[in-house]
Amino acid sequence: MRALSIAATGMLAQQRNVEVVSNNLANMNTTGYLRRRPEFHDLLYQNLRRPGSTASDSGGVVPSGVQLGLGVKLAAVYRIHTQGNVAATENTFDLAIQGKGFFQVERPDGEAAYTRDGTFQLNADGEIVTHDGLVVLPGITVPADAIDVSINQSGEVLVKQQGQVALQNVGQIQLATFANEAGLEAIGSNLLLETPASGAANVGNPQDPGFGSLLQGFLETANVNAVEEITNLISAQRAYEMNSKVIQTADEMMSSLSNR
Amino acid sequence: METTLLVALSRQGALRRQMDVVANNLANMNTNGFKAERMLFTDHVVRSGGPAGPAAPIAFVRDIATVRDDAQGRTEPTGNPLDLAIQGDGYFVVEGPNGDLLYSRNGRLQLDGEGRLVTSEGAAVLTAADAPVFLGETDTDVVVARDGTISSQNGDLGRLRIVAFDASAALLPAGGALFSTDAQPVDVTAPVVEQGMLERSNVEPILEMEKMIRVQRAYASVRDLINREDDRLKQMLQVYAA
Repeated sequence: MRALSIAATGMLAQQRNVEVVSNNLANMNTTGYLRRRPEFHDLLYQNLRRPGSTASDSGGVVPSGVQLGLGVKLAAVYRIHTQGNVAATENTFDLAIQGKGFFQVERPDGEAAYTRDGTFQLNADGEIVTHDGLVVLPGITVPADAIDVSINQSGEVLVKQQGQVALQNVGQIQLATFANEAGLEAIGSNLLLETPASGAANVGNPQDPGFGSLLQGFLETANVNAVEEITNLISAQRAYEMNSKVIQTADEMMSSLSNR
Repeated sequence: METTLLVALSRQGALRRQMDVVANNLANMNTNGFKAERMLFTDHVVRSGGPAGPAAPIAFVRDIATVRDDAQGRTEPTGNPLDLAIQGDGYFVVEGPNGDLLYSRNGRLQLDGEGRLVTSEGAAVLTAADAPVFLGETDTDVVVARDGTISSQNGDLGRLRIVAFDASAALLPAGGALFSTDAQPVDVTAPVVEQGMLERSNVEPILEMEKMIRVQRAYASVRDLINREDDRLKQMLQVYAA
């Protein structure tokens, strides 16, 4: 009885659906989080009577045949790279990207990782780092005697020093864009890694053509829409119930055979 | 003598396969671009008692075809600029792994590492010029017009090819909400493509549940028929044996 295994694939798919929704809801307040969506595909078809086969000597052709689908599979869980809300924090080193691009940070193994989470701080050496202490590339050191730091829309880090009238440019924050942002690999802690699917990083300054601009004192909130997620949760639950009902029905049809 | 049992058996076999179709529809109720299938039954008539016998036809049940319901699924806004839905007739043309053409109504598109517009399986979507669409690094504001023309702030990038078929029954499901066919596609002259929308599955869960209950009931009544026929045969044997 195929119905049992078909309904099992349906239940499994809906379970994954709930898992994705719950991860989105859990990260509703995660800065720079991009919501995920599951994509389902129907499985292969079993031909009981192949369409297009000849029906008789006279050459009549079976128009549509009997094709039984074998269920559903989870094809992909993809990120939706739309802009999240931008919330004011008034923190000097909080940066939000408006538009395309990712901040580049250096992981402990020297590789670059990418993030849209702009909650930056200074470490003991005055370098701009993430909350995990990873250096924001290309590595900018703010002098210890700086009174005020301002980061403009195109990513220039300008510091006001005691006794000086002009602001001093101490570095340039650069962004990276990818041909296929959805192909980046998530490794947790709001970090993404380059993959063959994403294409190579294209580094440039904010406000260059194709790059977003920076907002100092703001953070990009998660682009999760709570109402949408709850709706998805309800529909996933109902779909799960219906598939379990199929299993029950198939079971009853089978038991009527074995209990004879 | 056992014709009653055989007719009942043909019904039960057909019902079980119909149950498989219902189960597949319900399993795919959240599959984008999925089209519901239903089973088509016919009677297979034989004359009882051979050619010279009395003309009392016996009708066996045969499931001769699965028929696809090509109605449009509900379209839902997603806010994703590369999600496209076709309103009305038409299919996107996708380049299969062997260079063959596949057709799909699932408009969940994305870019691959080279900036090519592909399906979630990585197959390129073709334009009217039978070429894939490439988006460059600076093509950030992608707009898809209602006739399928893709453009960005840098200009026109090509028009998506939307095709239809004279007989949609010629399309065979190939999994992954893709269809394959030997039939010749006909370009749709005035397609309507909606950006930021997705066509969901056209499975109506309530109808499928209702169908499932009916299948189950029919199966149970055929079972009762088999039981009664079995009892009748048993009684007959007892009477004649005595």
